[in-house]
Order: sequence, then C-alpha cells, then structure tokens
Amino acid sequence: MLKEPLSFLLTIEGEKVVDSVLRFGYVHRGIERICQNRNYVQNVHVVGRVCGICSHVHTTTYCQGVEALLGLQVPPQALYLRTLLCELERIHSHLLWLGVLAENVGFTTIFMYAWRDREIALDIVDELSGGRVAHTINVIGGVRIDVSEGQVDTMLARLDELEQRIETLLGVIQHEHTFQVRTRGVGHLSAEQVRRYCVVGPIARASGVDVDLRRDAPYAAYDQLDFRVITTEEGDVWARTMVRVQETIESLRLCRQLLAGLPGGPTSVRARLRVPPGEVVSRAEAPRGEVIYYIRSDGSDRPARVKIRTPTLPALITIPDQLRDVNTADVPAVLAGIDLCIACVDR
Amino acid sequence: MWSRIVRWARRKSPWVLHFNSGGCNGCDIEILDLLTPRYDVERLGILKEASPRHADILLCTGPVTRQSRDRLRRIYEQMPAPKWVVAVGSCSCSGGIFRDGYNVLGGVDQVLPVDAFIPGCPCRPEAMIDGLVWLLRTIR
Amino acid sequence: MFVEAILQVLREIFPTETIEVQAVPIDESFIALPPNCIHHATEMLVDRFDLRHLSTITGQDTGSAIELLYHFWDGGGLTLRTSLPRNEPHIETLTDLIPGAALYEREVCEMLGVTFDGHPDPRPLLLPDNWDKKQFPMKIDHQNNRLPGQATD
Repeated sequence: MLKEPLSFLLTIEGEKVVDSVLRFGYVHRGIERICQNRNYVQNVHVVGRVCGICSHVHTTTYCQGVEALLGLQVPPQALYLRTLLCELERIHSHLLWLGVLAENVGFTTIFMYAWRDREIALDIVDELSGGRVAHTINVIGGVRIDVSEGQVDTMLARLDELEQRIETLLGVIQHEHTFQVRTRGVGHLSAEQVRRYCVVGPIARASGVDVDLRRDAPYAAYDQLDFRVITTEEGDVWARTMVRVQETIESLRLCRQLLAGLPGGPTSVRARLRVPPGEVVSRAEAPRGEVIYYIRSDGSDRPARVKIRTPTLPALITIPDQLRDVNTADVPAVLAGIDLCIACVDR
Repeated sequence: MWSRIVRWARRKSPWVLHFNSGGCNGCDIEILDLLTPRYDVERLGILKEASPRHADILLCTGPVTRQSRDRLRRIYEQMPAPKWVVAVGSCSCSGGIFRDGYNVLGGVDQVLPVDAFIPGCPCRPEAMIDGLVWLLRTIR
Repeated sequence: MFVEAILQVLREIFPTETIEVQAVPIDESFIALPPNCIHHATEMLVDRFDLRHLSTITGQDTGSAIELLYHFWDGGGLTLRTSLPRNEPHIETLTDLIPGAALYEREVCEMLGVTFDGHPDPRPLLLPDNWDKKQFPMKIDHQNNRLPGQATD
C-alpha cells in the first residue's frame, strides 16, 4: 500500500513460501557521506529527511548527541516540547501503520478511518511547527517553537477527540473476526529469535521482550513522566497490532501529562558552530524501536562521521523466518506487520 | 467529436501510478493522504492504480538513485500513451537535499520528460491537488 | 550493566593487553581491543553476561586506520573499539555468536572494504548492482566526481 521500493524474491511450493531473498538499496542516498559535507546545523535538516514518518526522532537523536559533544544544558521547556513531538509522531506513525496493515488484509474501511483520525494528530503537529511531516522543530540547543495557553487548550481538546476515535478503532478490530483470522498465528517470532537477531521496538515487545529506551535509558523529558511499556507474549501480527494500538493510547496519555506539566521558560540555548573533538553515542526510541547515532567530531564545523542505525534494519533479517511456510496470500499481512520503513534502512 | 469526448474522459478520470525512486517517504505519505477522507481526490476522478498499464499519470517522488533509475524508466515505458509525468517534491524536481549524494543522479527530469513540477519538502496535499488540477487543465 | 565486572573478565582472558575503559557520552563505555580479540571478547559477553544485543557496527576511516566500533546495549552502552590496517582490512565475523550482526557487517564490508572472515552471505547490502566493487564510499579518498544536477551512467 505504502509503496516503498524493495525487492523480494519468493520461492513458492504450491501455496507456501519456502524461501525469500530481499534486495534493498533503491532508496540509498548516501546520507552518512552527505552529512560529512555539511555543517552541524545543516545536518539537522539532512537527518530529518532520512525518513518522513519518523523525522523528529532522527533530529532528536542527532541534536542530543551534538549537544552532548558541546556540553550544552538544554532548557526543560525544550525537552518537554521535544518529547511532545516524539509522542505525537508515535501516534501518527502507529495510526499510519494500522491503516497500511488493514489495507493489506483487505479491510479498507479501517485504512480510511485510521488515516482520517491521523489527520487530527497531524493538525496538532502542524499548528505547533508549521509542517505536517518533516517539521524539524529541533535545533542544536533546544527547539525553535513554543506554545501559548490557547494552543495548549486546543491541543487538549483535539487529543480528547483523537482518543475517542482510537478507542473506537480498537473496539472494531478487537471484535472483527475476519481481521483476527488474518493476523493471528501469522508471522510468528519467538522471544529467542528476537534476541538472536537483535530486533527492537514493538516487534520485540510483542514477543515478550520487555525493552523500551524511554524507560530504560530516559532521554529528553522521559525521566519526568509516568507511563506503561506494553508487552504481550504471542509474537504474531495480531500481537504487534495490539501492542501498537495500546502504545498509541499510552502516547495520548503522555501528551496530556506533557501539556499539563510544561515548565515554561526559554526554548533553546546558543550553540557554537565548531564542535570540540570527541565522540558520542546517542539513542532514542523511535516508533519502530531503538535508533542509534554515533557522531565523531574533529574540531571543525562539520562532523567527521555520522553513523545511523534505524530500527527496521534488524527486523529485516527475520523476514525469511517469518515468511517460511506462510501462505502466499498472507505475505502482505506478514510484511505489513513488521512496519517496514525502507527509507530508514537504506538511508 | 469523438476525440473531444476522449479528451474529456481523460481529464475527468486520470488514473495515477505512484513510484518512489529514492525518497524519504515524506511526499509518499502525503500522496496517500490524498486518497483519505480529508482530501479525497477520488472526487476529481483520480484513482491510484497498481499497474503501469492502467495509469495515465506517473507521480514520482524522491531523487533518482542509481538502483532505481532503470526501474523508473521501465515503468514509464510500460505506461500506454498518452501519459504524463509529475515530479512531486523538491527531491524529485532537482535532487533536493540529497543532490550531491554518491548514489543520487538528481531529479526525475534526469531520466524522464516531466510535465509538471510540484515543489515542497515535503509537498503539502493542497499543493499536490493544485498541481494535478493545473496539469489536467492543460490536457486539451 | 556491570562494566567493572566485564573489564575484570577481559583483563583475565587477555592478560597481555592493556585494557582500559573510556567513558563517552551519552552513558557509553568504550573499550579498545586488538582485532583478533574481538570474537573471543564477544563470546565472553554472550556466555558469561548474556549480553547479546548488538545495536550496530560502525566503520570509519580515520585516515591512519579503519576503525570498527561494536555497539552493545544492556541497560547501558558498551562499545568495543578496534583498529584495522587500511590495506586489506579483515576481521572474524560475529554472526556465529550474534546472527543479528549479519547485515551490519555486510554494510561495513561494502562501504569500507572490510572482509568479515566466515560471513555466511557477504553480498552488498545497499549499493546498486552496477556499482564498481573497488570503490568504497565511506573511505576518505572516495571522490564523487559528479556535478550537482548531472546524471551519469
């Protein structure tokens, strides 16, 4: 449905998939090399366009890495706004994914409803930042936006509306027998497979591996917040659906906590263009899992190395395992259940 | 008379094929947004098709990478005439922020003849509708 | 994450090496090891500490050497650093211990020309089919040789 360039070579016997080979690289833009040709400020915009769906978490991870190299103390208001956008991005990404999965199993109604409801989240983001996608609110040293009282009230009202809609969606898919038949028992991954392949994110949590960087290595304002990490044990596409939808509802609650607790004050500090020599490893929890950046500076205004590893990459190794002995007709459901983001993988 | 009817039909029901030749998905999800209830381009007769053989308009997003160049060309050749190419987004117009990448060849105009350029990073759905309507008006 | 405990065990199994830990932001510990020690060290991490999550493998060309960084995670970050010579760099694969390392090693192989001995599937990961196999994009001396806005090949 969301057509990303990716090539699968499936070996099929009768109706069952026996083997699969993947070929990607169609979206490989060489971003890590491009980052070496730009200065640190320009790179905020470059890394924000690794992927349009999870753009904010990329700029967050990058900026917090550079801020660590510069020894900057980011103001609390900026951290809260960064976290708010992280959660809004999680909501929009999971609703996007739900629509894509539903379309892939033939449930176009949910695709239309999920993407219609996603527009509410995008409206909030648009009002905050001026852009629906690739909003780049992060600057090195904080954020470039702020919120007023009136905006907070509007956002809270929209979040209430969104929560009602998502509860309705959850009710529909929990009671829709056909949807469950299409998603239960397909694309199974055990906890052992998840650990062996270093899989991260909702796929890992749906197989019982309790890992979430927001709780385990709090960044931005997550150490001030109270939230649940959702895990289940079944490890199939249905389990991943439940994890993601419930995470969306949890993210809504996080947004309310953030809006209620905004500390006020400045939203950024000045940052020098030249970064002292050093290295940093920065991690964050993207909607699809752990994103990790390694940045090395050599004292100039351009990074000597920016290494990006996105969460979909480890999930790709599991595809041959997930597709083995699956009916050909279930292949779209399995692939959609992984929430692939090929732009993230290829960079 | 007959050709006027055909041209009218082409203007009123352009079927589009979307191909991402190397983009970040920003413009792609905004193109998908066009199909969803808020923007709903089906009221303009636009349907998103999966096969190049059924499509009138090719919506391209993303800069052209070396790996996707031949595939892009092949898809264009499979589309029956008359056909139009729309470059959606800054990357597709010129290569955008990635234009000096070692694997990036530039915008879609490096590979195909483009009929409309819709800039933006990413391109807003309103801009896309505007661009498509402008293109349809030129189909006479 | 018991960095002190790991450091102690590393010193036991490599008594001839000087092993120190360097604290790196954000909450990361870097330990430098020679290339021939990486596989054995990883085996120890997996067997004794159940440390199996390899976030990624960074490869970088520092000008004097090709440096590999193995980023592990278990409640805190641990990175094993090693240096390979720029001419014909090679190192033993980790895929027998951590199958999740397969794609990371393939990427480092095609970007920097590092050979991972024993890798089950050393195909290029991201570079196109018609890429010149002797060109390594992340090496310092790689030149684009293209003007912006001009397609070639």
